[in-house]
Amino acid sequence: MKTKRDHSIYPVWFVLPSLVIFAVFFLWPIVTSLYYSLTVWNFDTAKFCGLDNYKLFFSEYSMSSSVIHTMIYAFGTSALKVIIAFFIAIFLTSRIRTKGFIRSAVFFPNLVSMMAVGLTFSYLMHPTKGLFNVVIEMLGGTPIDFLGNPNTALASILMTDVWKGLSISVVIYIAGIQSIDRTYYEAASIDGATGWQQLKNITLPLVAASQNSIIILSLIGGLRSFELIWAMTGGGPGFATDVLASVIYKQYAAGFYGLSTAGNVVMLILISVIAFPLQHFLNKREEAMQ
Amino acid sequence: MSKKVLALVLAGTMAFGLIGCGSSGGDSGAEEAPAAAEEPAAEEADGAEEAPAAEEASGGKPFEGVTLKVWGGAAEYNTGTEAVFAAATEKLGMEFEVEISPGGSDGDNVLKTRMASGDIPDLVAYNAGSKLYDLNPSRGFLDIKDWEILSKFDDAFVDAVTVDGAVYGLPISSTQAGAVIYYRPDYEELGLEIPHTWDDFVANCKVLKDAGKTPIYFCGGTTWTTQVLFLGDYYNVEAEVPTFAEDYTNGTAKYADVPAATRSWTKYEELVDYLNADKSAATADDASIAMANGEATHWIILTQQLPMLLEFADDPENFGVFGVPGDDPDNHGLTVWEPMSWYVGKDSEHVDAIKALFDFYYTDEALDLYFNTYGANGPSCIKGYELPESVCSAIRVDMQKYFDEGKITTALEYQSPIKGTACEQMTTAVGLGQMSGEEAAAMYDEDCKKSAIQLGYDWE
Repeated sequence: MKTKRDHSIYPVWFVLPSLVIFAVFFLWPIVTSLYYSLTVWNFDTAKFCGLDNYKLFFSEYSMSSSVIHTMIYAFGTSALKVIIAFFIAIFLTSRIRTKGFIRSAVFFPNLVSMMAVGLTFSYLMHPTKGLFNVVIEMLGGTPIDFLGNPNTALASILMTDVWKGLSISVVIYIAGIQSIDRTYYEAASIDGATGWQQLKNITLPLVAASQNSIIILSLIGGLRSFELIWAMTGGGPGFATDVLASVIYKQYAAGFYGLSTAGNVVMLILISVIAFPLQHFLNKREEAMQ
Repeated sequence: MSKKVLALVLAGTMAFGLIGCGSSGGDSGAEEAPAAAEEPAAEEADGAEEAPAAEEASGGKPFEGVTLKVWGGAAEYNTGTEAVFAAATEKLGMEFEVEISPGGSDGDNVLKTRMASGDIPDLVAYNAGSKLYDLNPSRGFLDIKDWEILSKFDDAFVDAVTVDGAVYGLPISSTQAGAVIYYRPDYEELGLEIPHTWDDFVANCKVLKDAGKTPIYFCGGTTWTTQVLFLGDYYNVEAEVPTFAEDYTNGTAKYADVPAATRSWTKYEELVDYLNADKSAATADDASIAMANGEATHWIILTQQLPMLLEFADDPENFGVFGVPGDDPDNHGLTVWEPMSWYVGKDSEHVDAIKALFDFYYTDEALDLYFNTYGANGPSCIKGYELPESVCSAIRVDMQKYFDEGKITTALEYQSPIKGTACEQMTTAVGLGQMSGEEAAAMYDEDCKKSAIQLGYDWE
């Protein structure tokens, strides 16, 4: 320990500036938000109320349901992105013509702002005038109230999110697939491995590192998603698509600052509880494979 | 190749970030735009007058060079307000810099944050009643209880802008009601009578549906509109339980326990079969257009929507208004909303200019200008003032009748500071048939409890 210290070229003090910034802008707000989540406060006064805000948050359907919706949303979008993007990436790294064009086309949705995508899709999904229902009716089906029916609303937003967010996952996969050494495939095909076997036993394990990034990124993105839901349904109909972030926003706008802070703490804990063990597990898996 | 891909990702991220910045910058620019557009026009008008009558200007325009900062939603800063402000500029000399609020809960958010940081414009347009109370107005608004102009307004209005003995607001427009707007030609065609009980109303809807019409227009896409049946039914609640407002504030009366109050929620259930096909996505604008063209017969809405609806309509006399019916045919009344109000910023440097502005604002000349330009939402709350002939008969006759007969009460939000904040989500869910009325009533009681706690009431 001592020898190591002696060998260090830079003094520990170098870390001070960033530590100060981190403490002032990250640690301090976290600590104060923990305190304010235990109070009923407006901007002038704060009254301590123990765990009442948390009790209220979990006992009231309008807020507790948001935790479940958030989980469905995060795991749903993440799973779909990981699976669909993998096959698109395989397709886009194979020998096809117009590869460049298709890759740009796949990436395109990501260049459009979330609000614009949300508004566009909410028009497309309009129960009577929307393009989707016009097509469904032309084909003889009964129109679906995508965003107005609580049973389909969350799924409709989820699919829109997948459509929009897929491209980043595809790009990360493509990078991963292209970095795999071609000789593995050559060796495998000489040994008589079929395309499917190559995919399963070479591509899939070797792309694990990229896959892990995609899982973590899309899961955290899903857990704190807000814009798309706000643009498409505003959390409605009723509370059918309310997620943590939208509930927190609504409580803040309504002037329930303590409650809204408690919601933020719940979100922080939820993300930490899911993301850290998951990353640990995925890293282990990755190491085991290599 | 992978470097290329990485570069693409980074470029994409950057572009995305830039788009984000660009759009937010654009937004704030757009908000300011109406004000900016306003100014040159006002200045031009000034310049034109100043040239020939430069001498008079100093005498006749005492507030030349004063610029008042105004903050309000698009509904408050309408063509009527614009016309009155322009007239005030011409007469008194002050100019206006208007910032348009995003409205709804986003607008509340902005205002609450500005109140907290002490950044309050000279004039703010905002609700009276419980929403004003919620704002903790002594923190940012000037107490105007010694202003003489207050004697012009009726007591119900002054009550609605009084918090803890201090008076804050001045009415922007007329009163309005949470009521049913109906399309007269459909009533004439099918020989229907204006319903005086809820059952008659539902029966009318059935006749309309059988005749192939859309009996009721419901806008699930503009969620605040869905509350109006619930809020507008308050006359009937009060008729049966006169002490409801007080008991509810004290936490002893609950929507789920008082049958007359639960009824406000279950009424939605009876209408589920009579709504438009796109009920879940339709917006208030869709409703205005549909009503104006006679595509739907009833719309249960605040009558502030009437002027907007009439912009699309050929004949303003095609529309009538009646209160949300209750169960007693002899006591069919109207639930009234006090107008949105102007509030004066506490630290405003131009209080004299503002006083002069309002002395002008409530002259018959300015009021006529306002109502002739924009139209009225309901009968006026200014004593001794008659709405001009240009205002449609739905307001001057149909609604005035309830006022003359004394069959009105103010909405609960003017009688109690407590209002649930998720009300519109619940009324949307009940209205679309996704929740029963009883369930929603119980849920609303929970929602109100949050407001009560925040306001310091002990509701156990």
